[in-house]
Order: sequence, then structure tokens, then C-alpha cells
Amino acid sequence: MAYQLTIEPLGETIEVADNQRILDACLRAGIWLPYACNHGLCGTCKVQVLEGEIEHTEEASSFALMDLEREEGKCLACSSILVTDCVIEAEIEPEPDAKNFPIRDFFATVARIEALTPTIKGIFLEVAEGGLQFQAGQYVNVSVPGVEGPRAFSIASSPSTPGEIELNVRRVDGGAATDYLCERLKVGDRVSCSGPLGRFFVRDSAPEPMVFLAGGSGLSSPKSMILDLFECGETKQVTLIYGARTRAELYCVDLFQALAARYPNFRYVPVLSEPTPNDAWEGETGLVHEAAARHFKVLFDGLKAYLCGPPPMIEACIRTLMQGRLFERDIYTEKFLTAADAAEGLAKSPLFRRL
Amino acid sequence: MADRKLGLKEKYQLMTRGLDWETTYQPMDKVFPFDKYEGIKIKDWSKWEDPFRLTMDAYWKYQSEKERKLYAILDSFSQNNGQLNISDARYMTAIKLWAQGITPLEYYAHRGFCHVGRHFRGAGARVACQMQALDELRHAQTQMHAFSHYNKYFSGLHQAIHMRDRAWYLSIPKSFFEDALTSGPFEFVTSISFAFEYVLTNLLFMPFVSGAAYNGDMATTTFGFSAQSDESRHMTLGLEVVKFVLEQHEDNVPIMQRYIDKWFWRGYRLLALVGTMMDYMLPKKVMSWAEAWGIYWEENGFALFNDLSRYGIRLPKYHEIATKEKLHITHQAWNVFYTACPATGFHAWLPQPYEMDWLSEKYGETFDRFYRPRYELFGEMEKAGKRFYTNRLPFVCQTCQVPDFFTEVDNPMKQAVRHHEWRGMKFNFCSDGCKDIFVNEPEKFCQSYIPPQQIYQGNAGGARTLQEYAAWLHCPMGSDAGDYYSSDDYKNWLKWHGGRDTSPTTAAA
Repeated sequence: MAYQLTIEPLGETIEVADNQRILDACLRAGIWLPYACNHGLCGTCKVQVLEGEIEHTEEASSFALMDLEREEGKCLACSSILVTDCVIEAEIEPEPDAKNFPIRDFFATVARIEALTPTIKGIFLEVAEGGLQFQAGQYVNVSVPGVEGPRAFSIASSPSTPGEIELNVRRVDGGAATDYLCERLKVGDRVSCSGPLGRFFVRDSAPEPMVFLAGGSGLSSPKSMILDLFECGETKQVTLIYGARTRAELYCVDLFQALAARYPNFRYVPVLSEPTPNDAWEGETGLVHEAAARHFKVLFDGLKAYLCGPPPMIEACIRTLMQGRLFERDIYTEKFLTAADAAEGLAKSPLFRRL
Repeated sequence: MADRKLGLKEKYQLMTRGLDWETTYQPMDKVFPFDKYEGIKIKDWSKWEDPFRLTMDAYWKYQSEKERKLYAILDSFSQNNGQLNISDARYMTAIKLWAQGITPLEYYAHRGFCHVGRHFRGAGARVACQMQALDELRHAQTQMHAFSHYNKYFSGLHQAIHMRDRAWYLSIPKSFFEDALTSGPFEFVTSISFAFEYVLTNLLFMPFVSGAAYNGDMATTTFGFSAQSDESRHMTLGLEVVKFVLEQHEDNVPIMQRYIDKWFWRGYRLLALVGTMMDYMLPKKVMSWAEAWGIYWEENGFALFNDLSRYGIRLPKYHEIATKEKLHITHQAWNVFYTACPATGFHAWLPQPYEMDWLSEKYGETFDRFYRPRYELFGEMEKAGKRFYTNRLPFVCQTCQVPDFFTEVDNPMKQAVRHHEWRGMKFNFCSDGCKDIFVNEPEKFCQSYIPPQQIYQGNAGGARTLQEYAAWLHCPMGSDAGDYYSSDDYKNWLKWHGGRDTSPTTAAA
């Protein structure tokens, strides 16, 4: 059976499986906690249990976590399991811009389906009972019949229309879930969802101009975030660099061109990596990070960057941004880890917290 | 949001940062005279992220509890004559090496962190270094206390500080740390906090502490756990320093790369002693040096440098040489200790049959082809009553001060020697890595205090022979130096065990 774990000061709640270590559950859910040795010896991952009961495993060294600390309700996240639902407080920074909408399970009804590109479908879901309150950039988990485990999809529509949320689904060859959603789902079908989830959102209280770097179906979150920003009268400079292979795979062009025409502080830079002769493309070519480097002359200092797309694109963009003097504290990404990625989740070094 | 609970970071900042101020009677550059000459540019110290948030109040509380626990276990260890339960008296060689070679480094680390804890301009970095300075003093003291029980029963532990200044092989760790201590503050933290305490720490701590556990040494195992709970702070400080410096200015990147190259290689050369301990001094084996290098460097180290490459930092220069050498260096070092042990503060011996098999298993062809035959020859000489001892002083590398027993990576039959001429003097090195370090800082390394040269110049109490040098070292044959099987340690061990040689007959714990 699984337990609910709430992590303060984030206020985020995640699920922890039986016998799953707290640290493991947090890292897999995309919540970074400080850690180093990952086997109970160093004490870096010490957290305070505020509510509920945990069990210290034998790995927790009596020097890394002393008796007096155990009595105070401290535990090592890497060497503790839950025995009830729990609330812990960890040494992570609170997020003043997080809205922390409650997560709920709900059914949504397919209102319409649009082919956005030859490979991406826009699925519009009607959510009853006042709709789904979410923060732009967040995602929902969707259960697909016949597929084990839910699949995550970012919400592409603005939070101002909570009664109808838009998901963009790229059909992956041999992917059972996307195959179902793109080929077999029909208007009127009921879909089981839970959400809103994720900590990818605009740090709007920060004074810096923003750049959004997106690729493929990773446009969903930035689209929702940019719509939300301008609906709320954003005055900071906002740049969207969006990469696709060909002109046919580029979508929402009219929407963003219209926004750019209306708001002088919004710039839209579409970029194609493999334009065909038929595309007669005169815009930027190459990959997203290359276009970003050209556009900003490899100087990103003083920006906030939001990255969304496939892992190789994100990694290339992080490297380009860091080369241009923008570092972890100003870079935000949404990573969709596959089951295989998550399994090797701890192979990285602890040098970076979120990236 | 006025009544919002303060986050831990804000709380810590309120408690620590207000202690700092901009000086007005004296310019800041005079108050902090050392943090600019290295060329490291810091634009904004407020971007420093505290690697840990510990107040002095909590620090005392936790550390005193750790001490209570540690000393309770040390007391019970000595009351129960724990020294009788170690796997074999040969194991004490590892402890002697630690007491002579590593414990003095803990004290050096204390001094170094006191220094940088005064000289960084940023208050956050100063506080972190001051806390580490206290940890390091605690480690030096608790190690001496943990080992002091053994000092009642075994030789070689009674004069670590005297040994540190006189023993030829201890100039390896000594020169390592003195190089770090005499560097600028940024080089010091990169060398010790990052290269040593982060990148290479597992290769130092794991072998000793697991080695202690595998060989029945509860005192050292407990000390190890107690220290490791502090090491986490040291490791996070090392990572924070490197990130902070790299993010502050692009001009810092090549300087940091040079520090990383230098201190990776210096640390790696120092670890040759630890690898030798793992492969030869532990009667019960934890893992081989080659295996440890594979896990802690080739896997974990590569993962770290893959992340660092985002900053434009590449893998340390000559890392591929270190990886190729992993199949050789420990055997070459033990060969030196076996033949030079009349002038060391510990004993040496030929690997027992079970150990020869273990070495064959772990090192395959390299051991069977190049090193086993040498030990077999030494064995025959021992049987014939002609135990081989070298009677010459070794040729020592000007940088790492390791006797030059290393061979060319692609030819283990050829000694690796490099030379460099500087101001009319010829200097000798064990490797390209050590030569490069000299070439970058010749004014510093031309002053290296090289034990064999000093001995020949009459600076070792006028000793002219190895025997005279051993006497000046206060390491007489039999009690402190020489072959294990003719030592007091061995004789006493047999006496305490009713004449039985308790040596293990398998490597597994």
C-alpha cells in the first residue's frame, strides 16, 4: 500500500510506496532534497518529521542520526520508510510563486480533437464541477485503458479556462498510450485523470525578463504559461524560441504571431531543424539551443529561462545557457522521465539540484 | 504573508550574515589580503549558497553527543581487550600508516581551514570553513585517542608527529598538505574540499573504515562512522565552492581547471599508499584497489565531471593514465615497502598463499606475469636465509615525493622517469602529471624538501647509511621496522594466542 507524503515548505504531496525510501520517492517525483551518500552514513538528507510515523531502517548510522535527533523526530530521508501518511520539513527553499492547488482525481470528457501537426493531436477535455484549477506549466496524469500506470501530459491551455483543458499528444511509434490517445480516443469518451501536478511554473515575482525554450510537443507548458502571462498584463520582455523539424510540425504559429503583433514585449522565434524545400522556410534554422545562442549572442546573464522538451534538447539548452553565464538558480525545466530514466535516477552526481 | 513561517535558509541567514560588515578604518583589500592574487574573480559574495545550515549551538550539541558515543565504544573496546580480536597483527600496519600518514593531515586540515576561515571576504564561506576547522581538529584528536589503546600493545604508534617530519614515505602526505596550505585560499579549498574531500574521499575513507570493520577493529570502525557524519558537510562545501567560483566569472574557469588537474593528480599519487594498504596490509580484503578505482573514480567521478562539463570543465588531465596504472601501482609500492622496511615505522611481509591467489584473481595477468614471480623469488631468498633488504635510498619525484617505482603505462618493465631543467638545475619526476605541476610552479617546487637528498646532505642527524637513518627515525629493526615475521608485534601476537598464528586463510571476511 502507498502513503501520502507532504514536503514542507513546498507544500507538495507525493505518493510513497511500501518500503520505499523517502529520498527515493522525492527524487523520483522531481523534488530535490539535499543528499550525498544515499546510504545512511553522512546525514546530509536529514529532515524533520512534523506529522505521522516513520521507521528508521538499519542503514541509518547512529552517528549520522543520533538518539537525541531521533527523539526530536528527525530522520534520514535516504534511510527511512513511512508507516503512516506523513508531513516532513526539509532544507529546501520555499517557492513564493507556487500556488499549490490541491491535487484531485477526476473524470474528464473529450470535447474535441484537433490534428495540430501530422504527429501531434490536440485533445480538449471538459472538466465538470467548476473545472480544474491549475498553475500554468503544470501537468495531469491520464490513465489510458489497457496501459499500466498513468501517463503525464502538460496542460496547453490557459488557467483562465478551467472548464476545458487542452493536452497535446505526440504519437510515439510503438507507444501504446499515445497510440490509443491519438488513434482510438473519440469525442464523448470519459478519461480518468489526476492533477494538477509538477513544479514547473513561472517565477513571476522575479524581476528578470524571460526566455522560453521549447521543442516538439514540449510547447504545451510554455503555451499555457505565455497565455497566462499576457492575460495578466505581463510587462517584462518574454521570448519564445520553439523548435520543430519541418514546417508541417510547427504549430500554433498564428497564435504566437498574433501575440507578438499585439504585445511589443513578446518575441516569437520559430526554428526548424530539417526544413524541406517545399517549406520555403526563411526563418531560423538549426536546433533550439543554436537559435538561442544566436538570438542572445551567447549572453543569458540576467534572464530567467524555462525549458520544456525532449531530454537531449534540454541538456543542449542547459549547456548553452551555462556557457552564456546563466546558472541553475535561473533555469527551470520540466523533465518527463520515462520508467527507464527514473531507474537510473541516482546515477548523477549531486552537483546540481534540479537540472 | 507577514506571519509566514521562516524557511530554514532565511532563518540561517538572519542568524549568520549580520555578523559581517564593510570595514571603514582600513580598506577591505587590506583586511582580506589573500583572496585576489590568484586571479579568481568574485563579483557577488551574496550568491554564496550555504552548503549546510548549522548554528554553533546545534554544532556543540551534536558533536558532544557524537563524542560521548564514540568514547563509550572506545572504552568498552579497551576494557574488553579488543586488540586481541583483530584478524591478525599484520592488520596493525594499516593503523600505523593511518596514524603516521593521515592523522597529521587532519591537523593540517584544521590549520588550513582556520586560515581560509579568516581570509575569505564572504561571511558564508568563512563560517563554513571555520566549522570545518573544528571538525578537522576533532578528527585528529579522536583518531589519536582511538589508536592510543593499540599503542599499549603494538609498536610504531608512539611518535606519529616525529615520524611525519622524518620518515621518507611520510613526506608524500606531508608535502601534499603543505603544498595545499601554502596556496591561495581558493586553491586550498579546491584542493582539499573539492579534489580530496569530494572527488577522492571515498577512495580514502571507504578502504580504511571498511577495512577496519572487516578486520575486527571496532575502535576504528566507530571512529570512522563518527567522522563520516561530519564529512558530508565537507563534501557539500567542496561542491559549493566549485560551483560558486565557476559561476562568478568566466575567467575563473581556466584557473579552476588547472587546480583540478593539479590536485586530482596529487591526490591520486597520495592514494597509492591507500591502495597498497587495501591490497597488501589488510589480512581480510574489502575490495581491490583496481575495483575501488573503477567504482569511485570511473563511475562516480565520471558522473561528476559529466555534470561539471556544463561549466566548461573537462576531466582532469592524465586521468586515463591513472586508470591504466590501476593494475600496477599497489604491487610496485609494496615491493618498495617490502625491500625498504628496515627504514619504515611499520613492518612488511610477503603475501601469504591465500593472498597471492586473491591478487591473481583481482589482477589477473598483470599480477601473475609481473609481480608474482618477484614475490616467489623473494620467498626463495627468505627460505635460504637471505631475506632481501635494499640498502640504498630511493630516487624520489620532485613533486609527489613518491619513490620513483612507477613504470611506463604501456611497458611495465620500464621505469617511468621525466626530467625538467630550470635555472640550471635538473629536476626528476615520476610522471608527466608531476612534471607539469612543477613546470607551472617552479619557484614553489624547486624548494621541495626531498628526504634522500637531505639525508645525503647530512640533514638526518648525519646518517650515512640506512641503519643510521633508521636510528635517527627512532625505528629500530624488530620493534618498529623490518620484516613482520621477525618483529616483536608477531612474537607478542603468538604469545597472546597461545602460540597460534591466527592469520586468516581466506581473503573473505
